[in-house]
Amino acid sequence: METPGFIDQPVVPGDVVMDLSKMSNQTIKIGGGLRQDSDLISVVKAGKLRFSKPNKYWVETSQKRYVPCVEDAILGIVVDTRADNFLIDIKGPAIGFLPVLAFEGGSRRNIPKFEPGTLIYVRVVKANPGTNPELSCTDASGRAAEFGPLKEGFMFECTTGLSRMLLSSPTCPVLEEFGKKLSFEIAVGLNGRVWVNAASPSTIIVVSNAIMKSESLSGTQQRIMAQKLLERIQ
Amino acid sequence: MEQRLGNTWRMTVNERKFIESALLSGLRIDGRDPYDYRTLSVKFGSEDGSAEVHLGQTRVLAYVTSQLVQPYRDRPNEGTLSVYTEFSPMADPSFEPGRPGETAVELGRVIDRGLRESMAIDTESLCILSGKLVWAIRIDLHIVDHGGNLIDAANVAALAALLTFRRPECTVGGENGEEVVIHPPEAREPLPLTIHHLPIAVTFALFDDEGTLVIDPTHLEEAVMGGRMTATLNTNGDVCAIQKAGGVAVPPSVIRHCLRIAATKAGDMTSKIKEAVDAYNRDRALQKIKRHPFPASVNARLAGTHMGEKQKKSEPPIHKGDGLKQMAVGISSHITKDRECKMQSTRGNSHIDGISNSFVGTPSSWDPYSKGVDTELLKLSLASQASSKPSEKQEEVQPDTRSFEAKPQAVPEETKEPSRAIQPARSHTQSKGERTLLDAVKPKNKRKKKASTMDGR
Repeated sequence: METPGFIDQPVVPGDVVMDLSKMSNQTIKIGGGLRQDSDLISVVKAGKLRFSKPNKYWVETSQKRYVPCVEDAILGIVVDTRADNFLIDIKGPAIGFLPVLAFEGGSRRNIPKFEPGTLIYVRVVKANPGTNPELSCTDASGRAAEFGPLKEGFMFECTTGLSRMLLSSPTCPVLEEFGKKLSFEIAVGLNGRVWVNAASPSTIIVVSNAIMKSESLSGTQQRIMAQKLLERIQ
Repeated sequence: MEQRLGNTWRMTVNERKFIESALLSGLRIDGRDPYDYRTLSVKFGSEDGSAEVHLGQTRVLAYVTSQLVQPYRDRPNEGTLSVYTEFSPMADPSFEPGRPGETAVELGRVIDRGLRESMAIDTESLCILSGKLVWAIRIDLHIVDHGGNLIDAANVAALAALLTFRRPECTVGGENGEEVVIHPPEAREPLPLTIHHLPIAVTFALFDDEGTLVIDPTHLEEAVMGGRMTATLNTNGDVCAIQKAGGVAVPPSVIRHCLRIAATKAGDMTSKIKEAVDAYNRDRALQKIKRHPFPASVNARLAGTHMGEKQKKSEPPIHKGDGLKQMAVGISSHITKDRECKMQSTRGNSHIDGISNSFVGTPSSWDPYSKGVDTELLKLSLASQASSKPSEKQEEVQPDTRSFEAKPQAVPEETKEPSRAIQPARSHTQSKGERTLLDAVKPKNKRKKKASTMDGR
């Protein structure tokens, strides 16, 4: 492959990262931030070029605004209800549509009622620029799989980069440290929203604030910060 | 319709319920105590009278400017104070450009009331000629980031700006006692305003269940609160203003409780503001003592400089005129770091001033550059001083025109003296405090040189 030099490196719009004519014939999948011009793959968004085996390439940036992408799991806020869709705000350029039947075992008889302001964990089914993205509360096979409304807890907004860091494996250091001593649950939306729930409000507050501050910290710094906060509350 | 919905900020039911329930146990979402302020930082701009305040995520800029105007008829001995607010759309998705909305007007009114009713600023000292000329102080507040509690942050910014603002000194003289002479900063040190005390605004967010109140609400807390109350007090414990516009009802005991807390908070804030202002004044004083070598001249820059400014340099530092006729033109005294005489006869020239600052021309250099005298500007300045001293103006015009012809010869002269004059590269910010003994001497030199050039030509 010609591109090992570019992987995990910062790239800027205009960089040509791949020449298909020179590669052995394999299909590759290009994700956000990359564009195909006949045989050349070039970058259209500034960020880091990422690669995942066997053949996926994309550009990652950290920003406050979310660009909907298929198969992303995100946190949306219900804005309004229509006859056949819920209107969901997903922090993107357009409002998302969640069909009323897109739930496990959903039928015309048991349409859920969401009041405006409900937080929902959804999956993006269709996302094309210029159109309203389509969402769903089931996974690809039709099962609920944790999608749906989130009750209680606290939600805060962050950048898309922080969301990805929280979802990365191995576990993000700040979550790991807190997980050793405290019991809490979180739902991370790739659109820059995080929901935290725990038994006591002070736990929620400590975890939320620690996560908000950890984007620019390295792994060790995150651990140190988490340990200091844990000492203070115990 | 749906496109627009995509851009507003929304609050979830979860956040609302959590904030309310956490407050019942005395917890705030950012970990503060209910009566704690966020970190306050006060920074000053390069000009006298400009301040930037960060209160947590909230950022406010304040600028104080002054102008000579006619006083109100019922208060002929007092200067005036006015507060203007600007809610920039970049501060919050709900701010729209254009006319100030309700919250903007309310903010301006609260700050204005705190300063005016308590007579924090001595307006009588702003009077120059009773019934004819007084200083009008204008405070402009720009909200740059809305993180909650704009009133307190804007109030601190206004106070910090007022404390560091300096107005030009003026003397009244002349045969009929009506001639006002405004001295530029180089001639006489500009004066600070007389401020008797600092009214500090302390905002309380009231929640639906009685008794829950927090100080310095963040944006999220403001979205959840049931009502708001702002108490403006000073360190002496005097209540300067109270604002409670609608919202949840509270018994008088809660109000008294709030005032007691606000008194302590006012003391803290006052000391913080004074510390920041003192540090700034020390820096300014230190800068005045520093001496700087003259940098090399940059001729190319001068060639392109707007000539209108040069004309101003040729004017004498003294601006004379009868009171009323002067006012028709509204002499702006928004003076910044300029070393040269910046007396401008029209209001709109503050922009040009910014460029003219950089030119620190010495006597020999102004001649070649006054070549391109802006005749429009000259006519305006003459018209505004129509009743007074036309002869003096004539004098000035003549050397200008003479030097105009002499310019081609003067240019090579100028190039021989790179060390002397031009510092166009000097940024606006720098020249503010940098005044050396040479500056004090300069005006005299200029006059001498003018005489010599006139003789020479």
